[in-house]
Amino acid sequence: MEINHSDSRQVSFHGEGSKLFGIYIVNLLLMIFTLGLYYPWAKAAVLRYVYQETEFEGSRFAFHGTGKEMFKGFIKAVGIFVVIYAILILAVWSRNNVILSLGMITFYAAILLLIPVAIHGALKYRMSRTSWRGIHFGYRGDLKEFVQEFVIGGLLTIATLGIYSFWFTVKLRKYIFSHLRFGNIEFAYNGDGTEYFKLNVKGYFLSLFTLGVYFFWYVKDLFAFFIDNLEMNQEGNVLKFRSTATAGGYFQLIAGNLLIIIFSLGLAAPWATVRTINFIFSNIIIDGPLDTDSIKQTEMDYSDATGEDISDMMDIGLI
Amino acid sequence: MQSFDILYYDGKTSVSHQASLSLEKDYWLIQYDQEFEKQSVRWEVGQVERDMGFNSLFIFRYGDFPRQTLECKDENLLIELRQLYPDKAFFDKKLNVLLHKNTTVLVGLTLGLIGILLVSYFYILPWFSEKVAEHIPVSTEISLGDTMFENTINHYKKNDSLTARVNDFVKEIDFKTNYPIKVTVVHEDDMNAFALPGGNIIVFDKILGKMKSADELAALLAHEVSHVHYRHSLKNIFRSLSGYLVISLLFNDINGITAILADNSNMLLNLSYSRNLETEADEKAVEILKANGLNLNGLVELFTLLESETNKVATIKLLSTHPLTTERIAFAREVARQQNAPVKKENLEKKWQAIGAERLK
Repeated sequence: MEINHSDSRQVSFHGEGSKLFGIYIVNLLLMIFTLGLYYPWAKAAVLRYVYQETEFEGSRFAFHGTGKEMFKGFIKAVGIFVVIYAILILAVWSRNNVILSLGMITFYAAILLLIPVAIHGALKYRMSRTSWRGIHFGYRGDLKEFVQEFVIGGLLTIATLGIYSFWFTVKLRKYIFSHLRFGNIEFAYNGDGTEYFKLNVKGYFLSLFTLGVYFFWYVKDLFAFFIDNLEMNQEGNVLKFRSTATAGGYFQLIAGNLLIIIFSLGLAAPWATVRTINFIFSNIIIDGPLDTDSIKQTEMDYSDATGEDISDMMDIGLI
Repeated sequence: MQSFDILYYDGKTSVSHQASLSLEKDYWLIQYDQEFEKQSVRWEVGQVERDMGFNSLFIFRYGDFPRQTLECKDENLLIELRQLYPDKAFFDKKLNVLLHKNTTVLVGLTLGLIGILLVSYFYILPWFSEKVAEHIPVSTEISLGDTMFENTINHYKKNDSLTARVNDFVKEIDFKTNYPIKVTVVHEDDMNAFALPGGNIIVFDKILGKMKSADELAALLAHEVSHVHYRHSLKNIFRSLSGYLVISLLFNDINGITAILADNSNMLLNLSYSRNLETEADEKAVEILKANGLNLNGLVELFTLLESETNKVATIKLLSTHPLTTERIAFAREVARQQNAPVKKENLEKKWQAIGAERLK
């Protein structure tokens, strides 16, 4: 097999607003008529479409998740929330201050624990359900380790009034990417918490002083900090990710999307989505040698979508 | 038998095999060259699945995880499949039909959706908001009403001494409600009075000046209290702010609701109650007046006073907010006629005199 050294690659997106619009309309109607129960199937349709229109080295990605899997997860997730809220409501009903405070503590502790559980589950499910040329992605993180990391980081963040959150974010990214696999390809995230902190402080204050003008440079820097620190490793061959996004590009994207959404009263949201995806992919370049023919299938099947659904309910965006 | 050019992935590595596919009755045969050897793979038709397709690439998968995959761009494959396996559901994806064939269907669906949204916005949402208003806890309603009161009262000149006298008057009547009733009299050249959610009632001094009896004032107050009691104000506000309300609820933003309500406090003046709500308030008012042994003629006098004012002045706000109909006057007359002659309430009468003395100043 030849190793392809032609050194820069990109993911490209071929989706069209009109097709996505069609999917959204059908989804919305079915969700209205089923009082929202159609949601998992609606989501599966959108993901399948978006993945199918995403191309790398001449081959399309695929999303294998099904509405049925996500519906099962949805039911489980609803069950979990019902239990957590039941505890809170019973505690409030008891009209006893001790029970009430215990109930509140349990409630917030459960929510805090649920976030990492949801992220972990969602990653496992989403990665296992993503493939390219028949090779599946996978997430090998350990739930216990991840929850521990999350709880410690979360408490430190609270104790430092949020300052630690920057190091925390970077730590989580490192953990997640080091456990991500695409067949036998490994990933790594090399960001540095201190650098991330400086970037945010600078971005925040400059945006403030320039009355928001600097904001576009700020988001560009955040994107670059995410992308530039990513790398892939195929049996010793390192591939680096590189962002080419510019502040001007971000301005065009954000201003354009705002106009599209406002003037269509939200109806044209799918076109805005397509623009966003296009912008993201067209601004990521992957440098380095890659043998696209020798990626081996290594990951296990994983069909439990509970984490994915909890993430949805808690509004945790994935990567 | 026709054969098709495909790309085949075996599910073990990412190698993309240029292969040929031929369709047999019970199986598909995939053939390709690997390391100078001919390889062939057999797919049992029963286990072949097609990916939900959105573009001109047809993708089929086979077997257990990790699955084998084939991709084909040849449209003829679909035609062939349809002929060969008419009962196999390679084509049952509703979305396909919707997306590829039928723009009319799509446009129709879009219009239908917009229709549903409009209906929900103008009918279902207001109805729903009223239901939500019914379930707001009393304590929340009272604190909300207090916030609104703070905002509203700034627009007026408060008459402190009249306010105190009228509140003394209020204490003599049992309004049969759990809401704490607090009346505020303000100086305004308008015949008006209105109720805020949670028990605050604002009365303009002009209407007070035109009243001739304690019963009339009692009738006005009983009517306004009934609006409070049945949460008419809250329901009306929620109805007219239902759009904001749903958005705020969606974002779980109770503070937002409070802010919006505070901003819109003065709209209470312009809100009109529906005829049903007015009737409900009238009936409750009659009940209150009866229970307190008050003369129902007060209600008749009040309505007559308002009616006479309509004829004199063009801009009478109370009338736009309380549509006075002859039916309502007839109703008041009827209940008053049926009432046994009530005894004069001395305490109430004294308080009324005090108000009378005050308004002359």
